[in-house]
Amino acid sequence: MEQFLNTFFDFQFMADHFDQVLAGFWVTIKLSLVGGFFALIWGLVLSVMRQLPGKWLAPVRGLTIAYIDALRGIPLLLVILLLSAGLATLASEGTIPREIGIPNWLGESDPFWYGIMALTLTYGAYMAEVYRAGIEAVPRGQMEAARSLGMSHGQATRYIILPQAIRKVIPPLLNDFIALMKDTALISVIGLVETVQVGSDLYSEFFNPSGYTVGAFLFLIVTIPLARVVDMQIKKQDEKFQRGIP
Amino acid sequence: MSETDQNFMEKTDYAGPILKVTDLQKSYGKLDVLTGIDFELQKGELVCVIGPSGSGKSTLLRCFNMLEKPDGGTIELNGHEIFGAGKTRDLDLLRREVGMVFQQFNLFPHMTAEGNVSIAQRKVRNRRGAACRDRSVEMLNKVGLDDKIEEYPDRLSGGQQQRVAIARALAMDPEIMLFDEVTSALDPELVKGVLDVMRNLAEGGMTMVCVTHEMNFAREVADRVIFMDGGVIVEEGKPDDVLGNPQQERTKQFLGLVLAH
Ligand SMILES: Nc1ncnc2c1ncn2[C@@H]1O[C@H](COP(=O)(O)OP(=O)(O)O)[C@@H](O)[C@H]1O
Ligand SMILES: [Mg+2]
Repeated sequence: MEQFLNTFFDFQFMADHFDQVLAGFWVTIKLSLVGGFFALIWGLVLSVMRQLPGKWLAPVRGLTIAYIDALRGIPLLLVILLLSAGLATLASEGTIPREIGIPNWLGESDPFWYGIMALTLTYGAYMAEVYRAGIEAVPRGQMEAARSLGMSHGQATRYIILPQAIRKVIPPLLNDFIALMKDTALISVIGLVETVQVGSDLYSEFFNPSGYTVGAFLFLIVTIPLARVVDMQIKKQDEKFQRGIP
Repeated sequence: MSETDQNFMEKTDYAGPILKVTDLQKSYGKLDVLTGIDFELQKGELVCVIGPSGSGKSTLLRCFNMLEKPDGGTIELNGHEIFGAGKTRDLDLLRREVGMVFQQFNLFPHMTAEGNVSIAQRKVRNRRGAACRDRSVEMLNKVGLDDKIEEYPDRLSGGQQQRVAIARALAMDPEIMLFDEVTSALDPELVKGVLDVMRNLAEGGMTMVCVTHEMNFAREVADRVIFMDGGVIVEEGKPDDVLGNPQQERTKQFLGLVLAH
């Protein structure tokens, strides 16, 4: 027991290297917020493209569906590796400009931006599905009632459908955000120093895994409250559902 | 309402039916639901539509305000063609003059009773502030819900929700009200409250088309009863005739089943 505690919970070591892990966690937070933001928007764009009306836009719908299926079916790790290797190669060959192939925007490193791109591409696909499910979960009668009162399709969407759909998509989007945050750790494989990589570096240097433990706790401080919020939201909606209200 | 619309609805030289439908057709894929409906509705008239489930009653009602686009035939509102030769025009006008109440209420769950009644007034009628709210309160009063103005739908009984839905449609000042089995989803003890509201409306001279299974209601308040089956009007006439002394075999069968219990 003593041994166990000393291995994983070396408090002295934790205190000595807390700042380092925290700095790594700050990178994790930035990745999550920036990646989550772009994924949220890209997902919305995808879900709109998927539902564009009319015969002429059928190819757009088809391509969007193919994209969503593909990105949901490929491991994020593979997307990260493919994207970083691909863009770097294209840039060094001169096929694409160096500022795009090896991005160092806003003072962040290129692995950071490869990570953001991969998170956006993959989680955008997940979130597109969430948006679609949210809109489809609003009963058809809502649109009909709004239209029967003389509202246009746009007015009905804006004042009746979206406010209800947003309530329905908040819990699953938060769930996706939690998953995205944990998946940022994968970006360490292309050399980004975030929470997990800091723990790993500390372990290689001192053969002490307590750095990992600190990282784990930092994750939990954010993810557990978020998960609670999701549960509360879902419970609230279930109660309404049981009272027979969509 | 713009001045042209006003003129349009109050054309004084027009004495024909307020709603006229000729040879209306509607199919879903291979399923022919309406196969040639001719129907006229006079101002102030109350028509009850009865018929077995699946006979196309809801589809007909939904064509009246173009929630479903017909495949053929014409729809005229006050002598003005809204749908004909496959083309729709002045849909806004139609929706503005025709209110509808649904079996499943379809209240907006994220708004209070007052919000439900107000939203379309604000967005469609451009009524603002106190004028809008006063109108909503007046309508909620009219359906006996003055004490529920700030309640959300999930706090209301089915009967109360349905009365809010009626108030919501009335607040738009429609010329015609369509009711699609509005008491079918209600517990028996709540049916009367909703039917009473409809009776009051009828006494106030509202033009109404009611799809209903409430035969007593039809007998007491309808000016005319229509029996539909298989996408056509099989029989129509005075309530006492159609309900009391039906001529068609199919009507007799249906009434035998409905009135048996
Ligand atoms: N949106 C739809 N798509 C396909 N079939 C439909 C649709 N709406 C109604 N129907 C079919 O049309 C027929 C008539 O339906 P409806 O008008 O609702 O009948 P009623 O109101 O008399 O019970 C039924 O067979 C029903 O299944
Ligand atoms: Mg029906």
